[in-house]
Amino acid sequence: MIEVHDVRKAFGAVQALGGVSFTARDGQITALLGPNGAGKTTLLRTLVGLLKRDHGSILIGGVDPEQDPMAVRRNIGFLTDQFGLYERLSTREYLNYFGELNGMDNASLKKRIGEVSELLGMDDIIERQTKGFSQGQRIKVALARTLLHRPRHLLLDEPSRGLDVMSTRALRTALTALREDGCCVIMATHVMQEVTHLCEDVIVIAKGHTVAQGSPEELCRRTGIANLEDAFVSLVGTEEGIA
Amino acid sequence: MKSKIRIVFLKELRETLREKRTLGFLAMMVLAYPVLIGFMMHQAIEKSTRTEREGINLTVIGGAQAPTLMAQLRERSVTIADANAAEMTEAAIGELLHSKKAAAVLRVSDDFIEDYQAMRPAQIELWFDSSAESGAQRRELEEVLQAYGNNIASARLLAHGVSPATLAPVTVQRYDTGTNASRSAMILGGVIGILFFPAFMLNMSSAVDSTAGERERRSLEVLMAQPAHSWELVGGKWLACSVLAIVGVTVELIVAHGILKWLPLEEIGMSWNLGWGELLLVCLATVPLSLLSGALYIALAMNAKTFKEAQTTLSIVMIVPLVPGFVVSFMELKTAQWMYLVPMLSNQTLVKELAKTGDIGALPFVLTFLCALIPALLVVAFASWRMKSEKYVLGV
Repeated sequence: MIEVHDVRKAFGAVQALGGVSFTARDGQITALLGPNGAGKTTLLRTLVGLLKRDHGSILIGGVDPEQDPMAVRRNIGFLTDQFGLYERLSTREYLNYFGELNGMDNASLKKRIGEVSELLGMDDIIERQTKGFSQGQRIKVALARTLLHRPRHLLLDEPSRGLDVMSTRALRTALTALREDGCCVIMATHVMQEVTHLCEDVIVIAKGHTVAQGSPEELCRRTGIANLEDAFVSLVGTEEGIA
Repeated sequence: MKSKIRIVFLKELRETLREKRTLGFLAMMVLAYPVLIGFMMHQAIEKSTRTEREGINLTVIGGAQAPTLMAQLRERSVTIADANAAEMTEAAIGELLHSKKAAAVLRVSDDFIEDYQAMRPAQIELWFDSSAESGAQRRELEEVLQAYGNNIASARLLAHGVSPATLAPVTVQRYDTGTNASRSAMILGGVIGILFFPAFMLNMSSAVDSTAGERERRSLEVLMAQPAHSWELVGGKWLACSVLAIVGVTVELIVAHGILKWLPLEEIGMSWNLGWGELLLVCLATVPLSLLSGALYIALAMNAKTFKEAQTTLSIVMIVPLVPGFVVSFMELKTAQWMYLVPMLSNQTLVKELAKTGDIGALPFVLTFLCALIPALLVVAFASWRMKSEKYVLGV
């Protein structure tokens, strides 16, 4: 469970987060919607303790990332828009590196790499050096790294970008499996279809503020618009009307 | 659970060693560098001892006209080769000098006997190649010719009843106090100056690749979000790049030591009095120098946004450690205790003193070791603090 209450963060004169509050429950996939520049990256970085908040409280599985960032990070799978690989390492070596950093031993790493590789359908690239991987292959490797240490919380920033149809389905299966395991998944995305299909809960943020939280149906009902995309646009554009 | 610093260290090392270019550079620096130094020294020894061993080769045209001169030249152990006047055109002379078979060519003019007997200035041509390194030999030949001329003049004056002493109102006696040893001390100083340079070269690409490179490839944010402290990440990267320099410099010093021991340095009055035990101590005292350069590179390169930017910055920094050594040798400062407190200069001074006297006590070793180790640790601490700072995270 991830509980965020009135988190604010300013960089000099720029107020990146002006008051973000939400609760992402275990066993649910929570969509994080927001236009570019809404503060998603800042929010995710604050959640893993890379940035310190100015105000408010954050609890991830009951732990404050500012108090014990290591404990929080061990329990987080973090996938951002930066997913550079190490060109001279093979996929397996890459995964080994991050598995070891998360305190996994060799035997469980080997077993787990086999599992994730099967889950994401990446048997063909597991022994290859990652140089020259396509965007989709890179995302898959990064996703595998995210899932590797069985984190209870997942922070995924546009995990489906660049994936082909087969991989997108594989990703969906993986996310469903995580939900069934009782993980808490936050997924930033711009694809409304994905939200409708996968997510039980939606958080909408704009200009550093939480504008709304609720199920896709709830958001549609609240705005009186049947289409989620239109509802999102109306939420972001007319934040005065929302409590 | 394995320590995080070790995990990062092993990964960075593995990644670096996979790159063939880096490995090639490493091998080149470690092996070719001391061999190059050895070759230069060998040439220097060769050059300064050549004249004494070989004597002077001189080709003479028309030598039969001046038998006394020929005899005087032979007395000074000049090897004379007679050449045919018809064959020795100017081009042929030039070619002969260029091929270095003769240090100079002496051409006695056809009118020599006639002019000599008529007491007109008789012409002798001395052909030489000033670009060849036979200046000393040429001077010797000129001295013989001068003495020959003076002899004749004296004899003629004497025949007229004038004392030959009239010709020499002043006598100049030359004393050269410059010994081979003092000249070669400069050469050895130069060699020692660049002996430790690889400590600042071998770790550069690894340091840049694991910091600025990682930032450029956009993998740093993920790494920083792992459950590892920034000092563990910085420490692993620091040790990985430093270990390359440590191994490189140690091997390079051993190879260089072997070469310097093998060279006949005593022939030019130089000494390399280090034993293998002392060399190992020097290697040990040099370990922190590599750690310091690694720490500096990591701390600087992590702030660069791209590989290229970092490389440019570091190339400038790389030169800095050579400066104190140059200043000291330029100002001809005597070895003093403070020199052991300046990294790099302390290593140079250490070897210089060891090569000279052989026994300098333990303090210089300890100072050399610590004067690089302490700043290295401070710089790593700074880099770790910097990586944790929000300002840095925002830039990633």
